[in-house]
Amino acid sequence: MAADSEPESEVFEITDFTTASEWERFISKVEEVLNDWKLIGNTLGKPLEKGVFTSGTWEEKSDEISFADFKFSITHHYLVQEPTDKEGKDEVLEDVIPQSMQDLLCMNNDFPPRAHCLVRWYGLREFVVIAPAANSDAVLSESKCNLLMSSVSIALGNTGCQVPLFVQIHQKWRRTYVGECQGPGVRTDFEMVHLRKVPNQYTHLSGLLDIFKSKIGCPLTPLPPVSIAIRFTYVLQDWQQYFWPQQPPDIDALVGGEVGGLEFGKLPFGACEDPISELHLATTWPHLTEGIIVDNDVYSDLDPMQAPHWSVRVRKADNPQCLLGDFITEFFKICRRKESTDEILGRSAFEEEGREIADISHALSKLTEPAPVPIHKLSVSNMVHTAKKKIQKHRGAEESPLNNDVLNTILLFLFPDAASEKPLDGTSSTDNNPPSESEEYNLYNQFKSAPSDSLTYKLALCLCMINFYHGGLKGVAHLWQEFVLEMRFRWENNILIPGLASGPPDLRCCLLHQKLQMLNCCIERKKARDEGRKTSTSDNVTNTYPGDAGKAGEQPDVGKSWDSWSDSEEEFFECLSDTEELKANGQESGRKGGLKEMANLKPEGRLYQHGKLTLLQNGEPLYIPVTQEPAPMTEDLLEEQSEVLAKLGTSAEGAHLRARMQSACLLSDMESFKAANPGCFLEDFVRWYSPRDYIEEEVVDEKGNMVLKGELSARMKIPSNMWVEAWETAKPVPARRQRRLFDDTREAEKVLHYLAVQKPADLARHLLPCVIHAAVLKVKEEESLEIISSVKKIIKQIISHSSKVLHFPNPEDKKLEEIIHQIINVEATIARARSLKAKFGTEKCEQEEEKEDLERFVSGLLEQPEVLVVGAGRGHAGRIIHKLFVSAQRLTESSDEAAAMAPPEEELKRMGPPEERRQNSVSDFPPPAGREVLLRTTVPRPAPYSRALPQRMYSVLTKEDFRLAGAFSSDTSFF
Amino acid sequence: MDEDVLTTLKILIIGESGVGKSSLLLRFTDDTFDPELAATIGVDFKVKTISVDGNKAKLAIWDTAGQERFRTLTPSYYRGAQGVILVYDVTRRDTFVKLDNWLNELETYCTRNDIVNMLVGNKIDKENREVDRKEGLKFARKHSMLFIEASAKTCDGVQCAFEELVEKIIQTPGLWESENQNKGVKLSHREEGHGGACGACYSEPSRRRIKGFD
Ligand SMILES: Nc1nc2c(ncn2[C@@H]2O[C@H](COP(=O)(O)OP(=O)(O)O)[C@@H](O)[C@H]2O)c(=O)[nH]1
Ligand SMILES: [Mg+2]
Repeated sequence: MAADSEPESEVFEITDFTTASEWERFISKVEEVLNDWKLIGNTLGKPLEKGVFTSGTWEEKSDEISFADFKFSITHHYLVQEPTDKEGKDEVLEDVIPQSMQDLLCMNNDFPPRAHCLVRWYGLREFVVIAPAANSDAVLSESKCNLLMSSVSIALGNTGCQVPLFVQIHQKWRRTYVGECQGPGVRTDFEMVHLRKVPNQYTHLSGLLDIFKSKIGCPLTPLPPVSIAIRFTYVLQDWQQYFWPQQPPDIDALVGGEVGGLEFGKLPFGACEDPISELHLATTWPHLTEGIIVDNDVYSDLDPMQAPHWSVRVRKADNPQCLLGDFITEFFKICRRKESTDEILGRSAFEEEGREIADISHALSKLTEPAPVPIHKLSVSNMVHTAKKKIQKHRGAEESPLNNDVLNTILLFLFPDAASEKPLDGTSSTDNNPPSESEEYNLYNQFKSAPSDSLTYKLALCLCMINFYHGGLKGVAHLWQEFVLEMRFRWENNILIPGLASGPPDLRCCLLHQKLQMLNCCIERKKARDEGRKTSTSDNVTNTYPGDAGKAGEQPDVGKSWDSWSDSEEEFFECLSDTEELKANGQESGRKGGLKEMANLKPEGRLYQHGKLTLLQNGEPLYIPVTQEPAPMTEDLLEEQSEVLAKLGTSAEGAHLRARMQSACLLSDMESFKAANPGCFLEDFVRWYSPRDYIEEEVVDEKGNMVLKGELSARMKIPSNMWVEAWETAKPVPARRQRRLFDDTREAEKVLHYLAVQKPADLARHLLPCVIHAAVLKVKEEESLEIISSVKKIIKQIISHSSKVLHFPNPEDKKLEEIIHQIINVEATIARARSLKAKFGTEKCEQEEEKEDLERFVSGLLEQPEVLVVGAGRGHAGRIIHKLFVSAQRLTESSDEAAAMAPPEEELKRMGPPEERRQNSVSDFPPPAGREVLLRTTVPRPAPYSRALPQRMYSVLTKEDFRLAGAFSSDTSFF
Repeated sequence: MDEDVLTTLKILIIGESGVGKSSLLLRFTDDTFDPELAATIGVDFKVKTISVDGNKAKLAIWDTAGQERFRTLTPSYYRGAQGVILVYDVTRRDTFVKLDNWLNELETYCTRNDIVNMLVGNKIDKENREVDRKEGLKFARKHSMLFIEASAKTCDGVQCAFEELVEKIIQTPGLWESENQNKGVKLSHREEGHGGACGACYSEPSRRRIKGFD
């Protein structure tokens, strides 16, 4: 057989498919594979346990072989089994028929819910299939089929392989296989008939029995009894009377009054159509003997209600329309829109009043105005009107995308402080609902979104809803524009933005949230400054606070008033913030000059007295100065700053410059310190600021006493190091009068500009984490009502997956889609659970025990491919299923009557197999969608004195086709 | 960027001022010790490419000042870091006691939770030790950190500290790959059970990844 011995030249010729050499090559390749996979000889496994085809693990191994240039794949499918414990069985097994032949008769796994079709048809635990490698290829001609089959036969014979070997013929979708199994002196042929049109005799049991018997051609009379297993499958599609309870939310109700804006914070949930499309009831007679039951042309005993076994599976609607999923999907679509807000709204909203030009000068003039602008009570609707007017002015009569009611409701929801009497001040945490330490609350950290009670989060939900219900992209652009106007209004009028944690931007949140927090920081500082100037706080605060010097920045109130003035004109320290110099007004400039005699100066800007330290020069108590607070930063600013710092490189000069750029804060602190402690030295400053750089030692003085002697650390003593340099430059100026380290005006304008130029797409990307966050919370909440363990697990996975994806800037769309898809799946699963619960009325069930059974049954339907109905048609679940079918039948019955009379011939055909026609007009069940019949027996073939061997025939009849799959064994040695 | 560099890793060095953070970094990047090194202002920055188990990684190392007043600025630099080196001075107990504060800060400001932390006890060349090695080890174990003692002056443990940290980061795939996945770089195969990145700098046999202890 060795292909190698063939002359080389042959390989290069265009070879005939039937050339002997190619054929032999093919056979030897098959043999090689069978040998490689160790499929030789008989290894008897354990008898198959009940249900093991479903509960066990199936694996497969594949290889590729070719016949000439036609490629086949050869695949070994097998049920993973524990190795049999008895060794050395081999000799004893000589006469035993192959495992697969024995399996033909096993009745423990008839009609497995999920299995390879060959497993279902023949009950095999292991087999090999040779099929065309390409999906479109097919072995069609009879001669080729025969050739392949003889190859298989030879390969099996040569190797002694006892695993059945199949060849797939015809188009793949037809699932037509022929095969063979060989054992010592025995052989089983696997044959198949696949028809579109069903000959009448195949539609009932008696006809099938006749075919079976004639195929066997058994020479014995009487024939040994044939064992019969039958399964009829009924499909229920009509759930109409159990109409789907989920209604799309009534949007008008949300806006109009009683439900109120609160609902804007909620996401919708649930399927809009029934997510369960079909119920398949399989009624099974697992073990009938010929003669007990009659099923023929004119009569049938096979009443599904009487079937001893019922099992059910459900077909899930492929992509049921679900509200939450739609919401997120639609929102995500905004991310891909290119239009700017202006383009969408058809005008240039932010330039029209020359705002951009006016803003800074306006802000500046306000600063110098003697009386600060009084804080008005906010009126959102007023603003809405002005904004609307502006819009209408530019677009003529055209309606603005959001009507007033909707807009007002949303704005009040976002800015609840606008409705309350007193404007919000100080604390910015508006809601007190969520336990802020809970794991749930802190989810924003994982999603890099924003806290669920924050303005940002609410804004995300509102935009989501607007996008879905109120004018889509236009609505989104409109609301965003209103939002930006509101931000500017608050900045200009010193009104803090609600729904944001105070303090510097929280870098764990999304950038937009940080930007809003940044704006709030600016408002807070501006407000403090304006109010500070109004009440004109006393210059010399000299309170003594006990406590740690290091906590200086955290001391309340006093530290908050600094001014934006500085008499320092030096450009030197401006590297990082090229602020426009703000001119000091006349009152302040008087302080210039006269700084030489430090010790004589009046101390200024003291925060509190240090607990222990005194000045080295004069023993006066050392005061912690009021210092400027460091500039709050959003992550993009930080990124920028660290980039600038990193760009300076790693050379000594680079490092020096870097230190210089960052020394503004040090210098400012030194100046504050000098102002608070007239007559101080660098040593004093260092003892407060960097205590480990002041080294104290006990030394013995001239008089022999132990005294503490202190000095600056070596690194502080290096001549002209930056600390010394800064110290020498620093003038005694209290923080209040220093140039602002943080220019709130400039930063606020930057934020406002940033907000104004965000396109809806940018906005959607900013807020998508919040929307995903909210969606996850929503499915979590809904799951907790149903308790579906698999869903719980998936939600956990979504969270960890999202936290990986969302933590990187600009996550890929594909990954975002994946997350959204997972959420949609969870929603559908929960919706399915609800649908099933409604259908089976688990809630209505009064008896506790029955209810539990029913719930178990329903959750089984969700998680298993097929669920057994305990008690079949007489059990609790069975009765419900029966009723479902009965009412569906009535429905079709009545609609059939109502419909125009169909020609009787047509009618008969449509009604399917004859037996249904025989039954009285209103049957409880529709004609079975599938009729499976399994016939088995053991008879000697081909001669009466041959060995008695397993014979099996499986048939299935559906509306579309009919299939007979026979396995007929014969004795090959004694006939 | 170099073709063969697997990834750029951001590493942060924190700890009280004066414990030798800048000196450790200088020793690692330039292999020198400068007793005249100025006290850091704000943050400083250095880069170095190292190779661990055949994988080249570019390290962008941010050195911080450590003084209370500068600290308000540094949390920002925690963002996006894959590794943090927390340093104390074995001759100053107060710097060891303050470690808890630093860890708190780390927890608060780190944007991710799978970041690799290493504890370094520095200045072991000095006579007047105040913190026993065992104490450092115990602290590190308690907080799932890598641990090593080192001296920026004598070079002890410095190389090792950085290499070990990088190796650990590379072994924590979620930590770096998502930013670099498009490059399609495969890590060279690493045997399980292979201990540290280096054996030369620090030969004590018990020194191993602390995380694996319990
Ligand atoms: N003996 C000794 N001194 C060190 C060592 N590391 C740093 N120093 C000294 O400790 C002081 C502070 O070091 P530095 O690196 O500036 O500390 P940093 O503030 O943490 O950056 C300097 O005087 C260094 O010379 C060390 O390993 N051994
Ligand atoms: Mg330093």
